[in-house]
Amino acid sequence: MTSVRVWLARIGELWRGRRLDQELDEELEHHLDRLTDDFLRGGMTRDDARRFARRELGGVLHTRELVRDRRGFPMIDAFRQDVRYAVRVLLRTRSFTLVAVLTLALGIGANAAIFSLVDAVMLRPLPYAAPDRLVSIWEARVKAGPANLSTRGTSFSGKADPGRMPVAPANFVEYRRDLQAFSGMAGVSGSSKNLTGSGSPERLIGEEVTHEYFDVLGTAPSSGRVFSAAEDRPDGHPVVVISDGLWRRRFGADPRMLAQIVSLDSNPYEVIGIMPAAFQPATGFGSTDAVDFWVPAAYPADLLANHGDHEIRVVARLKPGVSTEAARAELRAYTDRLATAYPQTNTGITADLRPLREDVIRDVRLSLMVLLVAVGLILLIACVNVANLLIIRAVSKRHEVAVRFALGASRRRVMSELLTQSAVLAALGGAAGLALGAWTQGLLVRVAPTSIPRLQSVGLDSHVFVFTALAALATVVFFGLVPAWQVGRARPIEAIKGRSRSVTDTGVLRWRSVLMVSEVALSTVLLVGAGLMIKSFLTLNGVGLGFMPDHVLALNIALPETRYKTADARLAFYDALAAHVALRPGVQSVAFANRLPLRGGWGSGVLIDGVPAATPSGYLDADFQAVNPGYFATLGIPLTRGRLLTANDRKDTEAVAVVSAEFSRAFLQGGDPIGRHFNRGTGLPLITIVGVVADVRRDGRAAALNPQVFLSAAQTTLYPVRLADFAVRTLGDPRSLAPAIQQDVWAIDKELPLTNVRTLDEILFQKVADRRFQTLLFVLFAALALMLAVVGIYGVVAYAVSQRTPEIGVRMALGANRGRILRWIVGQAIGLVTLGAVAGLAGAFALSRYVATLLFEVGPTNVPTYALAAVVLGVVALASAVLAGRGATKVDPVVALRCE
Amino acid sequence: MATDTDKTDVLQGTLALMILKTLHTLGPLHGYGIARRIEQVSGDALHLNQGTLYPALVRLEQQGWVKPRWGASDNNRRAKFYSLTPRGERQLAAETDRWGRVAAVVERFLHPADDAS
Repeated sequence: MTSVRVWLARIGELWRGRRLDQELDEELEHHLDRLTDDFLRGGMTRDDARRFARRELGGVLHTRELVRDRRGFPMIDAFRQDVRYAVRVLLRTRSFTLVAVLTLALGIGANAAIFSLVDAVMLRPLPYAAPDRLVSIWEARVKAGPANLSTRGTSFSGKADPGRMPVAPANFVEYRRDLQAFSGMAGVSGSSKNLTGSGSPERLIGEEVTHEYFDVLGTAPSSGRVFSAAEDRPDGHPVVVISDGLWRRRFGADPRMLAQIVSLDSNPYEVIGIMPAAFQPATGFGSTDAVDFWVPAAYPADLLANHGDHEIRVVARLKPGVSTEAARAELRAYTDRLATAYPQTNTGITADLRPLREDVIRDVRLSLMVLLVAVGLILLIACVNVANLLIIRAVSKRHEVAVRFALGASRRRVMSELLTQSAVLAALGGAAGLALGAWTQGLLVRVAPTSIPRLQSVGLDSHVFVFTALAALATVVFFGLVPAWQVGRARPIEAIKGRSRSVTDTGVLRWRSVLMVSEVALSTVLLVGAGLMIKSFLTLNGVGLGFMPDHVLALNIALPETRYKTADARLAFYDALAAHVALRPGVQSVAFANRLPLRGGWGSGVLIDGVPAATPSGYLDADFQAVNPGYFATLGIPLTRGRLLTANDRKDTEAVAVVSAEFSRAFLQGGDPIGRHFNRGTGLPLITIVGVVADVRRDGRAAALNPQVFLSAAQTTLYPVRLADFAVRTLGDPRSLAPAIQQDVWAIDKELPLTNVRTLDEILFQKVADRRFQTLLFVLFAALALMLAVVGIYGVVAYAVSQRTPEIGVRMALGANRGRILRWIVGQAIGLVTLGAVAGLAGAFALSRYVATLLFEVGPTNVPTYALAAVVLGVVALASAVLAGRGATKVDPVVALRCE
Repeated sequence: MATDTDKTDVLQGTLALMILKTLHTLGPLHGYGIARRIEQVSGDALHLNQGTLYPALVRLEQQGWVKPRWGASDNNRRAKFYSLTPRGERQLAAETDRWGRVAAVVERFLHPADDAS
């Protein structure tokens, strides 16, 4: 078709615009000259000839316009022209432009930063082959029978999956054998082993995996091979696959690494493969510890015989064409069969699955969504502010626009000019926002808690660019349309006639009131959010731990079973170490235990004789720890009754325990526990309670207050766990003792690595890292919102004052004093602020249920917080209104009336 | 502005035909020459102002029917000469043909009596 040719020709002309214009001018000039010559020959004077020729040919400018319309794309030309004009206007009004661009940059930048976080954590696919086909499987204990279990695959709530448990390897092997929905299924569990041999001993984090693991994830080793099924058996040849990181760090990237023997926990393992550096271990999400080795899980026969021993995570790959729902249905049906086959262990146990990607982020999903919404509100507020600014400008140009309308300019043209200005502003704001976002993103990742999975992959990529562009575009629509529409409504006659400004622009004022109310409302929502977060954080920090975490350095020493076979051998090691370390200067006391508070622990049933337990099992549950006598002094746990454990509580003396106050409250109705006896199960040794200490929250402030039982580490027959944690209380900086302790450890056994060396304060700090992060961000958002609201309110009031200068003049001339004028002006603003605040409180109330699970012991509708947010907002709004309204009191009535 | 465009569009078909025919008859010609020729042939019934002529020339050029070339005019001034391309020749033939048929139809429509007698 010819039209295609025309389009192509037009596109070609786009780049030759200026030259074609010049040629046309020359052509038209030639034409004019020739016609002039004709008239000259007809006997006219030169001037007349020229004039007649001009009249004959029509306006040159007009012709040029018409030709230009044919050439290229007039719309693009007009757009270019608009952009040029917009840039000129924006440059002329620098302070306006600066304020608008900065406002937008703050809004867009904050959004870009948060979005990049959300993108990396939630949206990007996992780094596996066909990652959408991977699912995570877990088991769960159902209270009311399997029929009542709801499908919660896509639940929005954060800490979802009530009753969730790891999978029992005994169940896993049956799933693996019988389920048809999956092309592969692998069991994984975390592991850690001491690497000894060359260099200093090192504690490595690794995974024990079934042989399908690498296949299911779809990642091949960069050299060597992975396990065979034969190696994944208890009697299999011990083999290990190591990480690229370990290979480089520890073995200097030795090219002959394969087939070498390394010593893990003093056992020889043959290195058979090296995984690529980019490999993401399935248990490595949300952890900064590098996973350095993989050994076959090789589940022992006794584990596979016990269907009640839940130990592993399971990842599986769906067969092509099988949906998650179909796989879930098959899995559920199968667990019912297992319950029939193994009623003792599997009754009330069901299994569930969801895409691996969703499973990885299940705990952070909600908080990220909340942050995204909060930061979206900031962008809205920024838009409202810029819209306000634009309306002021648009109104001040009303007269000019009206004149242009009168001269025949089309409404569309004028409006598109204004929209272009908004677009240029948005583009500038977007660019500045992106820069700001890139900068804040780095900060964000540094302060973000390491428990957020996949944080290391946060970066500026095409997603973030597209998001920012969309955000900028949305802002144009939001803040550009209203002013353009306002101006588009201008009626030329009225605007030209009504030069007097005594008539208030009611339409504009109404719009600005709407904007102000919404701005205040949005800020209120964020203020309430921040208030709830702060209140929650303070409440949490106000919770007593029951021990003193300051000046305590804790570390873990894993004694390999091959060389420390008995509990007594392990006790002897720790006793010797404690004796050595106690002699170090600066050490106040020394503790060791199976686990120290904040570092995990052990729970057990309790059977108190004479007290029938109310639970179905007949047991009561308590937190247990096996500790040395120095433990209480080291952790600063005060004794309230009886006595503490001493060095005299040995294996050959009476079995004793110290309990916490909660123990007697929970189990003995507050009765005196001293002298009472209990055991951990029928047939296990009876233990006598000899002392009561204050309540201890072993797992940190956010954890429940559980009854605590402290056993003597010396009475090794009383506890099944291993001693592993060691701690010192110091006078000075606890960190400075780490090298000394290391020396003392190596003086006893050169092959033991020290791991997890951290002060309790550090652990506590880390424990609340995600809450602190959320709170910090919310406070920042609220501060930003408040700042923008101040600018907005100031702008609205100042504009109202400038509009009413004559009216104020009249009032003052009639005897109103300055205080009264100020009250009048501010009063109007306060009405709007009140309206906005009420709307905001209602909005916050409506949204509050989404943050409920992020809060610690603070209701999402906590009234004092709402009240405080309203008060803060009210005071700030009042202050900015008064500040802006003071302009009104400076009006000189004489000058104001002369304006008229 | 919009109404101007409409007017030229209506004129477009016939004006294009006239320009093509002019170039066909006289060979390469500049804008002034084309305008004079059309005026003469129409017996001064048609006066083309620049706003009508030049947009039409641009359109013909974009269609690929005429080709502009800078050259010297008779009084030795630089001028843009338009010449017919082979595509333009074909277009002229087709348009002439079509115009003849349209004219005949319109003629019969306006004077049906002549036909009957």
